[in-house]
Amino acid sequence: MSAGDRRVGALAALAGLDLITAGRLRALLARHEPEEAYEVVAGRAVPHPAVEPMLTADLRAAWATSAARREPAEWADRCHQIGVTAVAYGDANYPDALVHDPQPPAALFVRGDWSALDARRVGIVGTRNATGPGCEFASVLGRELATEGVTVVSGLAKGIDGAAHRGVLRVDGRRAVAVVANGPDSPYPRQHRELWHEVATTGLLISEWPPGTEPEKFRFPLRNRIIAALSEVLVVVESRERGGSLTTAREALERGVDVMAVPGSVNNRAAAGTNQLIRDGASPVTGVGDVLLALGLDHRHSDRSGFDPRPLPRGVEATVLERCRVDACTLDTIVSDLELTVTDAAMTLARLERSGWLRECGGWFEPVCSWEASSWSGVS
Amino acid sequence: MLASITSATVLGVRGCPVTVEVYVGEGLPGYHLVGLPDTVCRESRNRIRAAFAACELAWPNRNVTINLAPASERKSGAGLDLAIAVGILVATEQLPPDVASRYAFIGELGLDGVLRRVAGVAPMVDALGEIDVVVPVANALEAFVASRGTPRVAPDLRTVVRCLRGDDPWDAIPVDPRADDVPAGPDLADVRGQPVARQALEIAAAGGHHMLFIGAPGSGKTMLAQRLAGLLPRLDREQALETTMVHSAAGLPLPRGGLIQAPPFRAPHHTTSVIGICGGGSTSIKPGELSLATNGVLFLDELGEFARPALEGLREPLEEGVIRVARAVGRLALPARFLLVAATNPCPCGGGPPGSCQCDDNARARYLRRLSGPLADRFDLRVVVQRPAVDELLGAEPGESSSVVRDRVVAARDVALLRSGKLNAALSADELDEVAPVTAEARRVLRNEIERERLTGRGYHRVRRVARTIADLTEPGSILVTVDHVELALSMRTSLRGPAMTDSRWIA
Repeated sequence: MSAGDRRVGALAALAGLDLITAGRLRALLARHEPEEAYEVVAGRAVPHPAVEPMLTADLRAAWATSAARREPAEWADRCHQIGVTAVAYGDANYPDALVHDPQPPAALFVRGDWSALDARRVGIVGTRNATGPGCEFASVLGRELATEGVTVVSGLAKGIDGAAHRGVLRVDGRRAVAVVANGPDSPYPRQHRELWHEVATTGLLISEWPPGTEPEKFRFPLRNRIIAALSEVLVVVESRERGGSLTTAREALERGVDVMAVPGSVNNRAAAGTNQLIRDGASPVTGVGDVLLALGLDHRHSDRSGFDPRPLPRGVEATVLERCRVDACTLDTIVSDLELTVTDAAMTLARLERSGWLRECGGWFEPVCSWEASSWSGVS
Repeated sequence: MLASITSATVLGVRGCPVTVEVYVGEGLPGYHLVGLPDTVCRESRNRIRAAFAACELAWPNRNVTINLAPASERKSGAGLDLAIAVGILVATEQLPPDVASRYAFIGELGLDGVLRRVAGVAPMVDALGEIDVVVPVANALEAFVASRGTPRVAPDLRTVVRCLRGDDPWDAIPVDPRADDVPAGPDLADVRGQPVARQALEIAAAGGHHMLFIGAPGSGKTMLAQRLAGLLPRLDREQALETTMVHSAAGLPLPRGGLIQAPPFRAPHHTTSVIGICGGGSTSIKPGELSLATNGVLFLDELGEFARPALEGLREPLEEGVIRVARAVGRLALPARFLLVAATNPCPCGGGPPGSCQCDDNARARYLRRLSGPLADRFDLRVVVQRPAVDELLGAEPGESSSVVRDRVVAARDVALLRSGKLNAALSADELDEVAPVTAEARRVLRNEIERERLTGRGYHRVRRVARTIADLTEPGSILVTVDHVELALSMRTSLRGPAMTDSRWIA
């Protein structure tokens, strides 16, 4: 086992202790090398005088028992098997963006390639329970930023986060950066298993916790601060009045990171939080150009409208599509608002759906804005 | 002396003739009731004895033995009181045996000798065949409806004795002049807006398709479902008798004419027990809600909240039209041929447009799991119901009334019955090929749906059945099923997939 592996094992053992926090771990590592710190925690070495006052009797007991659960060598094996490396605060390859953070993580466990962080970085976050158009926007934004060479940082969650990552991965050679709230070994949420592996193998997967950590509730806000800290600009695509993405936005504001938000219909509850952000002064995002402008990049050629091979809706189809663009509709809405027969309305909706202009979800019809999005859903 | 009197009891929805044998002999005064009576039945002694005193009849101060034959089957309820009383009167020579043997007797006695209503008189009278049955006045109509002889009614024991002795003639059965009036249920005209749900109701009624309403609380799912029974044609004589038997056996009140002519509407609450839904019971087998909805509509509101076994219990009746229950008392088949309408929220929080759901994923998945699988598969129509807009609630003229829609439903049913002898929902895959050929364009639409994996093999047949019904409704006599019909049928097959799965579905 190499010295590097041993160091990773010791860091994992320390970060996996009960009652450990970023602050305590930073304090330990400021005075001890990780291997030595483990011996201190296990009660086999004398703590540095500066560390001593922190070690209350309770903490000593909790750490001694949890340290005994698994030896650093075991941790090292495990990390080695799944390709997880670790950096500690103060290491040479510790990300610059986090060095001056008010609450820097003491250690990071990562899979993938650090170089993903070298490019310009934009965070894209939003609700897990997003609308179709919201996901579509996140996905398109992710793809277009990646095309411009910008790295997208997100959280791999359901909804907006996953959609943004998917968009990035559609561009060859572009890397997504994901900060997750559990150990870097087990995919969460399970629906994103493949996406997770793709990010871990082609991009960069970051976690503040060692392999095997469960995604408990309190870890998500902590994870959000890292997303905020790693971003130069944070884009909130959809968020409710209260939600995890608003905590990310708050963390970003505390760090002086620009917060931008995608405006939504006032009827769309999933856009209540983003509209509120805009009211409070966040710049609106209506396309990739707005984000590039905020980064100070050339945005002149960014908003090109591509070729759209979908047959242009005419007559009643156009009317129905317009109505669906106002807000999501059911068959009933179309029949009552446009005074069509049920059969005509059903046929028109079905035609629009088949040609890729609409998407149906549990009886609700939402518009598909861009042609690419319609082709991704497998519509021919 | 020995007396033998005919009576009956009821098991499930079937009447069972019972012979009440009474022996009054020497020995210490006593009263022995044998032949597997239940507690209520055994308590008859006290009721009868008091009734004798009230009616100034002599109680034998001798040893009375009563056998309820067949001795090995359980008897329940107080319906045998009158037969036992008459038996004792014959055995003590207070009544002539030849007169009593011409009748059968059903009725519960009060302490003052009054005859009280008994549950299940219709199936009992039916099982007794052509013999004239004496029943309490309160049961007159159902006895009259089910009887093949001349039923007799009496208000109390005293009257029965006087009539049997020939002192008085039997009372005539009161005939209600409005017996054939079917009370109008809630009317479809009350429903504002909801054009899709209205049309779905019409299709369900015309084709016998089971349907599911999906919608937020307050969107009018219950209101709509209640109006489905009113769209069905009146029951024919055979169906009316069958339904009346079930309702009589359950002891439910019957309409004025005694015969249930309007399709019943049953809406059991979601906390109803499995026995309450499927039928059964510890001492006797009572028909459950499935059977009470026979030839009518069974409405299950909040489908996801029903106990899992109760929902599983629906599967056999949906397939076969009967439910077979086996209990300690015996095993039997209860009728359960109904049109199922269910309503559910799209998720525990009530849902709404995409992005408005607030449930956590596990809760939603759990909720949907209950609805999915074999049961959800049996709904031919799955319709999203939305709360109507204020304008629709307040303004707008009332929609079509139930009677107008019912006329179309009856016409479409007639077409289907004439063509294949059954409703469209019951067509098999082979029969579909024969009676529901689709046009080339419609076939292309269906093929596309299957290729996009939005339609399974089973779903394909269901869509064709519904499309056949739509064709029968809109163009009676049409042979081909066109693309219009298929598209409308497809639009009424909303999938129950929750919004959480959206992103993995729409992005590859």
